[in-house]
Amino acid sequence: MDKVKNSDDNAGKVMLKTLPHSKDLKWPMLWWIAMEKIYRILPWKKTAWTCAAFPIEIMWVYDIVPDHPENMATVAAARKQSQRLIEHAEGMGFSRDLCSYCKTNIGAYDTKIKKTLGGISKPDIVVCTNAICDTHWKWFQIMADKMNVPFFMFDIPKWVSGTDEKTLECNIDYVVNQFYDLMAFVEKHTGKKMNEKRLNKVLDRSMELTNLWREIFEHRKSVPSPYSGAETSASFFPLVVLPGVKIGINFLKKILSDIKSITAKGEGTMPKGSEKYRVMWEGIPFWYRMRFMYDLAQQGAVIAFEPYTFSFAPPKKKCLTMEETLRDVAKLIMDTPYAYNLEKRIENFEKWIDEYKIDGVILHENMSCRPSSAGMIDLAEAIRKDKGIPVLILQCDMNDPRAYSEGQIKTRIEGFIELMEANKK
Amino acid sequence: MKKIAYYDTSHEMPLEIIMSAGFVPYKIMGDVHKPNDPADKYLSNFFCPAAKSWLTEALTESKEWAGIIFAQGCNNTNRHYDIWKLHVETPFLHWFGCPLLDGDAAKKYYRVELQRLISHLENKFDIKITSEKIRQAIGKSNGIKKKLKHLSALRSHKDIPNRDYLAALIKCLTCPVDEVSALLDSEITVWNSRQAFPSDKKRFLLTGSDVTYVEWMDTLDECGIRVVRDDLSIGERFFATLIPDRSDPLDSLCEYYMSIPAPATRPTIQKRLDYLYKALGETDVDGVLSQNLKFCEPYAYDSVPVNNALKSKGYKVIHLERDFSPVDDQQLSTRLMAFVEMMDGGNNG
Repeated sequence: MDKVKNSDDNAGKVMLKTLPHSKDLKWPMLWWIAMEKIYRILPWKKTAWTCAAFPIEIMWVYDIVPDHPENMATVAAARKQSQRLIEHAEGMGFSRDLCSYCKTNIGAYDTKIKKTLGGISKPDIVVCTNAICDTHWKWFQIMADKMNVPFFMFDIPKWVSGTDEKTLECNIDYVVNQFYDLMAFVEKHTGKKMNEKRLNKVLDRSMELTNLWREIFEHRKSVPSPYSGAETSASFFPLVVLPGVKIGINFLKKILSDIKSITAKGEGTMPKGSEKYRVMWEGIPFWYRMRFMYDLAQQGAVIAFEPYTFSFAPPKKKCLTMEETLRDVAKLIMDTPYAYNLEKRIENFEKWIDEYKIDGVILHENMSCRPSSAGMIDLAEAIRKDKGIPVLILQCDMNDPRAYSEGQIKTRIEGFIELMEANKK
Repeated sequence: MKKIAYYDTSHEMPLEIIMSAGFVPYKIMGDVHKPNDPADKYLSNFFCPAAKSWLTEALTESKEWAGIIFAQGCNNTNRHYDIWKLHVETPFLHWFGCPLLDGDAAKKYYRVELQRLISHLENKFDIKITSEKIRQAIGKSNGIKKKLKHLSALRSHKDIPNRDYLAALIKCLTCPVDEVSALLDSEITVWNSRQAFPSDKKRFLLTGSDVTYVEWMDTLDECGIRVVRDDLSIGERFFATLIPDRSDPLDSLCEYYMSIPAPATRPTIQKRLDYLYKALGETDVDGVLSQNLKFCEPYAYDSVPVNNALKSKGYKVIHLERDFSPVDDQQLSTRLMAFVEMMDGGNNG
């Protein structure tokens, strides 16, 4: 970001403003890295690998630091390491068609690269869920076997289109029962015990964190947009691994305060008068090519909303009993926007288009994430028909730069911008 | 008798419930000889070609079916259901959630899902699915499984073309059970009278994704490969175990479906390996053919640890990544022939 800002090559370019406290993201990151290191040294402390949609709070309740292979894969991509790691995994026999996060992680672990480049260490336990995709459990199991580490999988029933309330309650029963299996697993393999008081404290903090993120998103509805996808793609980090601890809360409070100050002045992330098109971005960003979002800004487009980072902050509620809490969490795991069924996806996208005053939608048809890409053709069709705005389906990959075709994407974006322009007339 | 078609990436669908509802269970397998244009409208080029072929079949044939049931399998099943719900015309569409796990929580959930399926069928078709009907269906299913097991065992002793085995299995998964039972009786007689295992063929175990057109089996024969064991869904997984007899037939189904040999869509990899080791311990083979449909992720993930484990035990393994189409079969057969030739030369593949 700063490089873009300060480079001589960027003379005359539209610069996105960063919030005053954006750089403070380094504190939760450093804290997390330090904790992971300390926990690894001290024999009574434990670490775990976890994945998206896993109830990470449970790990903090047990005083276990959650490491996150997906998060580290994005670091590898941002540090321009993912391609070689992916190719390393492919050299081990993993198909080109498999998830690039998974292959980045396999390559990172196998080549033992540094944490700052996306490396990751062997944990004490591996826990995951299939809430987002089957890839998670296949990948985590392969790695648990490889590292000879105990493995737990949380099986999440599918909330398909048309699921009725009665079925949903039965699905929740199944998930809640597995919470007790998870607790037994963690206690068996780490020797740690569940502390209900600590559980409530962690959940309170988690709720505070997600509420802050949701409030930030409320402000993102302002025109011009005070906070774009270019920034949220980094700043949502605390929601990935730090729900339940304080440091993320402090960071988001500062961000929220910055945003309030900007919106109060009627300013946005783009220079005054530059915001022409408000875009919704669906899917995981191109982590190896985050400049893409700044390229959009050159054409007056700002990513005003993206369901992906919003997914990490489901609306949590304060529950009175453990059972009630677990039922609430179970429902939230099944109800993550990133994994919405098609009917729910269409309904919510159309709501968000109105709320965030969206002019066009880009759907990242991610070759590494077939579950998220399934139904995109129907989603695009529904949005075009019901909301009358342009939708662009971009087929690419989140972590594998080989899928990114500079010229082709540029041409398609230009066409998309023209469509948004024509649509405004 | 009308068919109820089912979408099942492995062998999760409790066929006995469909049978006891008075319908013929029909496994949707697509047709590789027909273009996938209808499905291409809704699914991009990087989705499982078999799943696309199934959607194409449904878009063109669903009017012939009394309904469709989706059994939870891989990512394809989970997300494609919504697309089918939107585009495939059918009077009855049901999502059957199958737990991936097999602990107590999963067993409870599976049982609830069985009851939900029964209620939905009863309400829709104004029928009563009694315990007695389910018990009868279980009896018939077990009869088919026993006959298939008998036929399957002949593969390593007799001259049974690969095509014959797959064709018999496809019949079992698409035709009325009584018709199939009679056919299998006749096949047992015919197969028993066949010549001894041909000396110019190699015995292979086939694993990986299901490739459901018989011409592929002919290609394997032409390469000198005779499949004598497999762990496929349209294969041994269907008949490897019998449905146990319990006082409540739903308990029988729970126990059976939650303990059949694991496909790649179910944990754990070790369970898959255990079945493969068992099969390889029971039957001597010359090699293992691991086939992976393009974009079939569960088997693609498994193929690395599974094939490595088999190789480390001294088995000769060839892995093929392929489309769901006969177009590239010739190219694949060149590789297979070279592999078979290398086996004769003592190369470990």
